[in-house]
Amino acid sequence: MDYLDGEKERRVTQLRKGILELAIMGTLYHEQHYGYSLVRVLMGDGSLSLREGTVYPILTRLDKDGLVRSEWVESDQGPPRKYYSLTAHGRKLFESLMPEFDQLVALVKQSRNGAKSRQNQHLGERILVTKENKA
Amino acid sequence: MSPYPEVVEKIVQDYLQRVVIQLKRFPKSDQAEVLKELGSHIYESYCAGSDSDAVDRILEVLRKLGEPADVVAEKLHESLLNVGKLKKVPLSVLGGIVVGMFGLPLGFAGVAILLGGLGALLGLVAAFFATATLLLVTGVMGMGLGLLRMFNPDLWDHLVAQGFIQFHGRIGQFFDLLSPAAQGGLLVFLFMAVAAAGLGMLWLSKRLLKGLRFLFDLMLDRAKTLFRRRRRNGFVWGSRRFNEVPPEEQPLSESTSYSPIK
Repeated sequence: MDYLDGEKERRVTQLRKGILELAIMGTLYHEQHYGYSLVRVLMGDGSLSLREGTVYPILTRLDKDGLVRSEWVESDQGPPRKYYSLTAHGRKLFESLMPEFDQLVALVKQSRNGAKSRQNQHLGERILVTKENKA
Repeated sequence: MSPYPEVVEKIVQDYLQRVVIQLKRFPKSDQAEVLKELGSHIYESYCAGSDSDAVDRILEVLRKLGEPADVVAEKLHESLLNVGKLKKVPLSVLGGIVVGMFGLPLGFAGVAILLGGLGALLGLVAAFFATATLLLVTGVMGMGLGLLRMFNPDLWDHLVAQGFIQFHGRIGQFFDLLSPAAQGGLLVFLFMAVAAAGLGMLWLSKRLLKGLRFLFDLMLDRAKTLFRRRRRNGFVWGSRRFNEVPPEEQPLSESTSYSPIK
């Protein structure tokens, strides 16, 4: 059981790592954010558990690739905030990545539904066989 | 002035110090940028915290933020990629000049030595074949003379009288001691040895040519590999330059909305 939990945890982390970059780009596509606000938006109502520091390596990478740009903005409520926004290149890339992502999600859903329908069909056959045996 | 209570400030500084340790390979300006951003994050998160105890609250903030090594993971990856890259540009330029001044002439000298070596090798091969052929022809002609001495002594004497055949010194005296048949036999025997030496050299030349061909193929193969590698490297560099994304330096527009989270 512990092994399965660990395996699941590892897979979930991998899944998130891949998708988080896209999620960050998607969030920055609509408005500019500083690190902490970005984390809050990504975590939403708290259903997604996310190590907050995870976003900074991704932002660094996006910045290095020229997909985001950053700017320090003074804050009335404390230290300055580093705001990030997508560059034109980043916006274009995000727009081209979204259909790919949608296709992947559709593929996963389709395979899951397919498996379910096959499972139901198999279950139906078993019930039929049981009834025939009883008869 | 610190926005935190003293104990909290110490905990925050301790955390940031651990970040600095992770970033020791980077310039001070990069370190300061990362520390400034993390400091901002920690402050925002601390202010948004609900725990009444300041220490518990900051510990929760740092726990949620994660380990310093994870937070600067991408930077660390970058530093690993930079290991081995040329960092001292002036020295590299100086090195380039030195290579240009001395390396190129030396390179030309090297090419000249190579071409000279190849020419000398070809000369040796030509000389070898010339010697072999000469020995063979001389041997055959000598055997012909020996047979002539044995079977047509009158013609031999006539040729000697005309000065076409001459034996001087000790060889001539030695030949005068022998009978015409013995002279002919000795000549055939000696020149047969000479012709055999020529034939032997020609037979050896097959192996010599094989060896030279092997050397030539080897050199050609090396040159081809080198050329292919250069061309491949050139192609990659070229495509990188072509696909490179130009950094965008425009400032953020004022009309763009900022995050509503305060």
